Amino acid sequence: MQPEDLERALGPALGPTLVGVEPFVGFAGRLRFRREGALDVFRAVHGLGFAHLSLVGGIDWVDHREVFYVAWSDDARQYVLLSTEVPANDAHLESATPVWPSADWHERETWELVDISFDHHPDLRHLLTPDGYAFHPLLRSFKLHEPEELEVKTRHV
Amino acid sequence: MAGQPGVPFLEIEALRTREFIPAAKEALGDLIAEKGQAKLIRPVFNWAGRNSLFPLHWGLACCAIEFAAAFGARWDAERFGIVPRSTPRQCDLMIVNGTVTWKVAHKLITLYEQMPEPKWVIAMGNCATGGGPFRTAYSVVPGVDKLVPVDVYIAGCPPRPEALLDGILRLEQLIRERKE
Ligand code: SF4
Repeated sequence: MQPEDLERALGPALGPTLVGVEPFVGFAGRLRFRREGALDVFRAVHGLGFAHLSLVGGIDWVDHREVFYVAWSDDARQYVLLSTEVPANDAHLESATPVWPSADWHERETWELVDISFDHHPDLRHLLTPDGYAFHPLLRSFKLHEPEELEVKTRHV
Repeated sequence: MAGQPGVPFLEIEALRTREFIPAAKEALGDLIAEKGQAKLIRPVFNWAGRNSLFPLHWGLACCAIEFAAAFGARWDAERFGIVPRSTPRQCDLMIVNGTVTWKVAHKLITLYEQMPEPKWVIAMGNCATGGGPFRTAYSVVPGVDKLVPVDVYIAGCPPRPEALLDGILRLEQLIRERKE
């Protein structure tokens, strides 16, 4: 599957939600979309056979943040990369869990490390850091702390 | 037992199994009558405890590999009566063998609280001692002594099995001197 095939298959259905598809080494293509229609994009990509979501992640670009998804198709034996931008002061996005249940933990991780929250996520709790942890360590504004500053409540009885 | 003040020396090799228990009973009975139970019970208890330390069998990070090696055929820690057990309720020694994160911290405290008294803690490696290479990381407890009382610290990243055995033998020394 080539980027043009993706664009041809998805373009008419998605309309302006689809920003574009560009080549990406080792992938079927890199598909950029607007966050407002995220769930439609997930459904459409899933419908093309990309049934396995293997990764969700986030990047802090200081002025905005980027969320990316990597999905695998068993028929095409190819990955596809989906990415979208969210503003830093309003970083939220529709959850992919209704389409790919495996997005659950990945989105929890993205939420706690890069501070991008996911609407309608079934269970948005801390995954790697303890409950009540107030920092988002993968943001570029996060500085190394003296250990004492990071001490948090350690008992939850 | 030989050489311990207040503890009788039995010529164990001269006794057959059937004769051992009555002989020990008699010797201890005489001693208790002479010295009083309170004075005698502590050395006997310490002697039994330090020669059968049961550490909790768990691994937190890379130091657990050395922990495993220490109980393997080559270093054979079991010759000192140290047998790892899988449940905290059978253990009196917690060897913290690796990096403790804040996420796992309250589980560590729960395990510690489940161990029956008297109990001891060994902080094995730089991570457990003070956070090690991850001291300024966002998720690591800078030293397990922030969570539970530690009796012996072992330096190294990781400490060799000999160092772990030395730490355990030093803990045995501490237990021998224990009074209260
Ligand atoms: S002290 Fe070194 S070997 Fe031990 S757990 Fe820490 S990093 Fe691993």
